[in-house]
Amino acid sequence: MSSCTSEEAACNHQDATCTSANKSSAADTICTGSTDCSSNCQGNPNPKPPTAMKVKTGCNSADMGYPVTMEEELLRNPVITPEDVLGLQKITENYLCTPGENIHNIDFTRFRIRDMETGTVLFEISKPPASDRAGDKRDFDPNAGRFVRYQFTPAFLQLRQVGATVEFTVGDLPINNFRMIERHYFRDKLLKSFDFEFGFCIPSSKNTCEHIYEFPPLSEETMREMILHPYETQSDSFYFVDNKLVMHNKADYSYSGGP
Amino acid sequence: MKATLTPEAEKPRCSSTPCSPIKSTVSGYQILHMDSSYLVGFTTGEELLKAAHKWSGAEAASAEALPSPRAKPIDLGLHRASRVYKTKSRYYQPYDIPAASGRRRRRMPSSGDVCLKSLAMEPSRALHGPLPFCLLKGKRAHSKSLDYLNLDKMSIREPADTEVLQYQLQHLNLRGERMFTRNKT
Repeated sequence: MSSCTSEEAACNHQDATCTSANKSSAADTICTGSTDCSSNCQGNPNPKPPTAMKVKTGCNSADMGYPVTMEEELLRNPVITPEDVLGLQKITENYLCTPGENIHNIDFTRFRIRDMETGTVLFEISKPPASDRAGDKRDFDPNAGRFVRYQFTPAFLQLRQVGATVEFTVGDLPINNFRMIERHYFRDKLLKSFDFEFGFCIPSSKNTCEHIYEFPPLSEETMREMILHPYETQSDSFYFVDNKLVMHNKADYSYSGGP
Repeated sequence: MKATLTPEAEKPRCSSTPCSPIKSTVSGYQILHMDSSYLVGFTTGEELLKAAHKWSGAEAASAEALPSPRAKPIDLGLHRASRVYKTKSRYYQPYDIPAASGRRRRRMPSSGDVCLKSLAMEPSRALHGPLPFCLLKGKRAHSKSLDYLNLDKMSIREPADTEVLQYQLQHLNLRGERMFTRNKT
């Protein structure tokens, strides 16, 4: 639906335990212009330069030359790669990995979205790190923790660029080539695929990065249908380390401004 | 559905909604900010499942008490495509205003209200929306042991991916040959 470009940006990596081991660069580069997606990282007081983070955008898999893949096939594979999910044509019915495959203990602790045109913060949420949530009892489906639901108003569909800041901690293992591919669908029609590379994350670190989502142009008819049919807009968020799927989160969306 | 809130004592109040706390928690998350011009609700799969359990119990009880003019799906294992109700554009009151002088007050919406509203705790399917399919199924990804062959789940009608099967069977054969060689020695 939209053109695909790539842009480089900087990401701030903050080591909660040792500030001197920061691999971030001192430059605060803000990627703007005619890009579908870019990243904007906060300043880093540490003199070491932040790791440059590549931001790529992918759209319809046919445009990118990825072979079409089916969820049933991927579930039979011992390893699922970024190219595998870029070939998916619809939202998955199942999770493509178990919670236990997050061997790097990547834990998202804060999330914020803002309108890039006005700077208005739309939503911000935080949660204590997993180590502090020892009392959590998972009485329900373990997948329940991997799903969220948003109820937006119709006004949200009028936004052009939304910045999403995510803060996450990682465990004791270094993370090479951390990458997220997020695919949004309305009724099994791919709206847009976003592809962000976080790069390298040092062990036992807390990291913050902002991704900028450029919304695809939607027809009035499509927007009307999305508003009239809440929760039929859905997304899969796939997370990879060294090109291997380690996490899979899902979300659905309402734009009716109500239940 | 709104975020299911856990009321907290002595939280700062928003001036436009004096009865509502600003911060709330949802399944361990703390919602720090929500601009109601763009976002009116957030919830997690855990909250949805809890609400679904409550609703199914309440509806089962009410279904026994009153005859329903139409078939209501008590079994929440419905696919989204077969959802019975339709979303209507209607005024939505996100939280319950305490009654004053024996009369329930109605919230007057304010534009640009960024305060988070507390919610009535009553379970309601309309507030939560349908369960997502991924939670309805409750399935887990296949394990990465020999189960990934899924031999017991393969349908005769499905065309066999012979290349993948051959590759996987080769691995099994090689393992068998190594064991045979070990036993011979």
